[in-house]
Amino acid sequence: MSEESLIEITNLRKWFPIKGGFLSQTKKFVRAVDGVSLNIKRGETLGIVGESGCGKTTLGRVLMGLIPITDGSVRYSGDDIRRIPNKKIRRKMQIVFQDPGGSMNPRMSVRSIVGEPLLVNGLSDGAELTQKVAELLDSVGLKREHMTRYPHEFSGGQKQRIALARALSLNPEFILLDEPTSALDVSVQAQVLNLLEDIQKNRDLTFVFISHDLAVVRHISDRVAVMYLGKIVELADADEIYRNPRHAYTKVLISAIPNPDPSIRRDRVPVEGDVPSPVDPPPGCAFGHRLKHPNWKNSIDMDLSLREVSPGHWVQPCPCCTEDLSDHVNAKSDSTQIHESSESPEWERGE
Amino acid sequence: MSDNLLEISGLRVHFDTLDGQVEALNSVDFEVKKQQIMGLVGESGCGKSVTSLVTIGLATCEVDEGSVKYEGDELLFQDSESTRKITEVSGYIVVISVLLAILGGFWTILIEPIQGRNILLGSLAVSSTAWLVGFFSSWESRAHEKFMRWVRGNEISMIFQEPMTALNPLYSVEKQISEVMREHDRLVEPETPTINRVGEAIFSPISLIIRTIQAKPSSSFVFFSILAFVILAHRRGFADEAQSLSPYLILVAILYYSISDIVPTFQSLFQRKITLQEEIGMESNVSDVSIWTISGPRSVKYSLFGFLLNRELLKRFPMVSLFFYRLRQGFGGVPIGMAIALVIYLMLWMPFSSLMGMLVISSLLALPIVIWADFLRLDPAHSRQVREILEEVRIPNPEAVVKMYPHELSGGMRQRVMIGMMMSCEPKLLIADEPTTALDVTIQAQILKLMRDLRDEKGTSILLITHDLGVIAEMCDDVTVMYAGRVVERAPVNELFANPLHAYTRGLMACTPNLASTRKSVLPAIPGQVANPSDFVSGCRFCQRMERVGETLFTRPEMIEESLGHWVEACPICLDETKDKWE
Repeated sequence: MSEESLIEITNLRKWFPIKGGFLSQTKKFVRAVDGVSLNIKRGETLGIVGESGCGKTTLGRVLMGLIPITDGSVRYSGDDIRRIPNKKIRRKMQIVFQDPGGSMNPRMSVRSIVGEPLLVNGLSDGAELTQKVAELLDSVGLKREHMTRYPHEFSGGQKQRIALARALSLNPEFILLDEPTSALDVSVQAQVLNLLEDIQKNRDLTFVFISHDLAVVRHISDRVAVMYLGKIVELADADEIYRNPRHAYTKVLISAIPNPDPSIRRDRVPVEGDVPSPVDPPPGCAFGHRLKHPNWKNSIDMDLSLREVSPGHWVQPCPCCTEDLSDHVNAKSDSTQIHESSESPEWERGE
Repeated sequence: MSDNLLEISGLRVHFDTLDGQVEALNSVDFEVKKQQIMGLVGESGCGKSVTSLVTIGLATCEVDEGSVKYEGDELLFQDSESTRKITEVSGYIVVISVLLAILGGFWTILIEPIQGRNILLGSLAVSSTAWLVGFFSSWESRAHEKFMRWVRGNEISMIFQEPMTALNPLYSVEKQISEVMREHDRLVEPETPTINRVGEAIFSPISLIIRTIQAKPSSSFVFFSILAFVILAHRRGFADEAQSLSPYLILVAILYYSISDIVPTFQSLFQRKITLQEEIGMESNVSDVSIWTISGPRSVKYSLFGFLLNRELLKRFPMVSLFFYRLRQGFGGVPIGMAIALVIYLMLWMPFSSLMGMLVISSLLALPIVIWADFLRLDPAHSRQVREILEEVRIPNPEAVVKMYPHELSGGMRQRVMIGMMMSCEPKLLIADEPTTALDVTIQAQILKLMRDLRDEKGTSILLITHDLGVIAEMCDDVTVMYAGRVVERAPVNELFANPLHAYTRGLMACTPNLASTRKSVLPAIPGQVANPSDFVSGCRFCQRMERVGETLFTRPEMIEESLGHWVEACPICLDETKDKWE
């Protein structure tokens, strides 16, 4: 992994208009992505986690150039993604969708599904195409004879392998994995994760792995970005972020993972409520608002851009969710620290 | 009386398919004790859901043998072979003799009256006898179906995986929960009995009108004030003058639209002490705060539209821009203003007598709709009951939620409503089929806690079906591991996690990534997938998946009790930890 960044995202916004009323005027905006800055380094796996509705999928699609940008910019190895022709960018960037069944044409055989990108780009044809598809299928652990079958004949894990083979067919530099394993059983998920790691090693790929399963993200990622309501609240090395989470939202997410060890059964009280609607997001720190934190009001007029607290560990500083940042006293965050005040919200992290 | 609430023993079921019988379950044994949370874990295709569906009698498969006992009562029922034959044959006889009777009818009219009548009467007699025989022979199964209808909901209820598909999108939450309660006679006495409500609606429609005003004060107020104005104009005789004024109503509407939100906007402006300049600048950092502050939808921020207002203009002349912005907002009121003006113009133009006639006729036409709408309204007492249930499942703001429709709720809320609905009849056993699989981790944690609290408060036993071992470890007292239609291991949760005996259990545990494992390491994965049910071998099916050859594929391994309460399917290879081979 080099330090050179492949994709640079600067202050990216994606607002979806909500039309309504007479003459369908734009009434409101859904702020799916609201000011995200990120660097994706060449050869790394960046995990993006967050609850549903926090904009992770939209961020992925915007950075792929699949939907237009509202504000800000995405640069792919230095060039603005809006200026690169579509055909060129698709050879470099590919995507694997969450629902493998839904992303394939049920009336196309596996050969035409996997071979279509090659055909469209005029890279190969006929027997050569068959040969290439066979190689691709082989690289994702499928057999040559699967080529003539149709998607419905495969199980979920195999379909995801086919989707991966299709993404690999143009030999891209970057693949966006949008919840590739959340529809799969645990044992199949393990198979697919192993496959992804293998492929990355062999082909020197850059991955962005979007998921809501934190254990999976930790397993596969080099760096992890935690998103909440269209913003990144914490970004750090994968081990670091799990060992030493600084933002309250990250702590909540980590403590909510069910631990497969009954002896340390925690009687934790989870955070109340749902992710608020991104149509009218609260000002200031959105998570502090959800917690009804007493210090939330102070965050309204603060600059909430990410701050580097230790090398490579970026956190959104705010008086409610990252109290320990304001005084810089303890480098290590004690997870129970911020909930000891008498007015603490009705959640806490158990021991 | 034993403390087992549910006992499933030796359950074997199959599905009839075009390819012949496909075995879904093969001797499933486990018990759910009172106040216990029993976990049922396995991959998809292992028969977890089928087991639960067979338990509550909703499965579409044939039960070959075995029993499901709920507090000692057998839940499975099957007609004996002879009864089924009798029902079938009597059905045929009924059909044939009814056809004969029709033939007899025609015979009477067209050919030979006496002969025809004899045929008619004879075949009618035969058909009614056959129908009676069939009816009484299936007496027992109908009685059992009735019993099952009582058990479902009252004693055992089920939470399904996807709350969106389990809730009806066309009815409000209130309606759906109260429907379940009505079905099971759990509703309290209504405040106003139905007959009173019908009577009220028929004899005093005015009370209904009052209620309508109460329900929607703003729009009813506008409507009634227009009506009052028109009547006044007619009575006082200035209708003609007023007529010529009504086109100007469009201007009123424009004005109304342009200033309707100006007060709250300026209020918040003063409150926050944010200058207009700042709030218009898109690049400025504080914009996030201020945009939200001035009541999102109609804020100045969104007026970044084409020709009139570009950003520069906005920044330089905020007040001018604001004026244009308001004007543009106001034009949204044109269509509504036109419609209202037209209606008022017509009402003023119409002679007073015919206007009153029109009003009477239209109110008479509207009356049934009003009555109907009121009749559909839930009784306040029932509505309160539903609200209490929602409070029990920790839904914030239940007053608002009861009126909502499923699509307005988030996934976690829907699942709560679902749990509330299932708990409304206070069942003793709750079957939860992957209740949190579709939810986020934080919401999952909330739902799991809720279920645990319900167990602690009400003593409900829970059969929790999941494929997530983390959830199992967190929730359950006992665990049953199923593989390919069989129970392969059953133990108390601590024992199972400390000392997993079967290779499948070990495999499941190994392949789940957790926070303690080494990052980027190769995850041990169980190779392959669960075999197709039509290809199941008679012996150890996990050996089949691991592509082992030998004796174990053909002899059915026995369940043995390894230690107290720890049962395992004793396949010699699967028990041997050294023979585990993960990918």
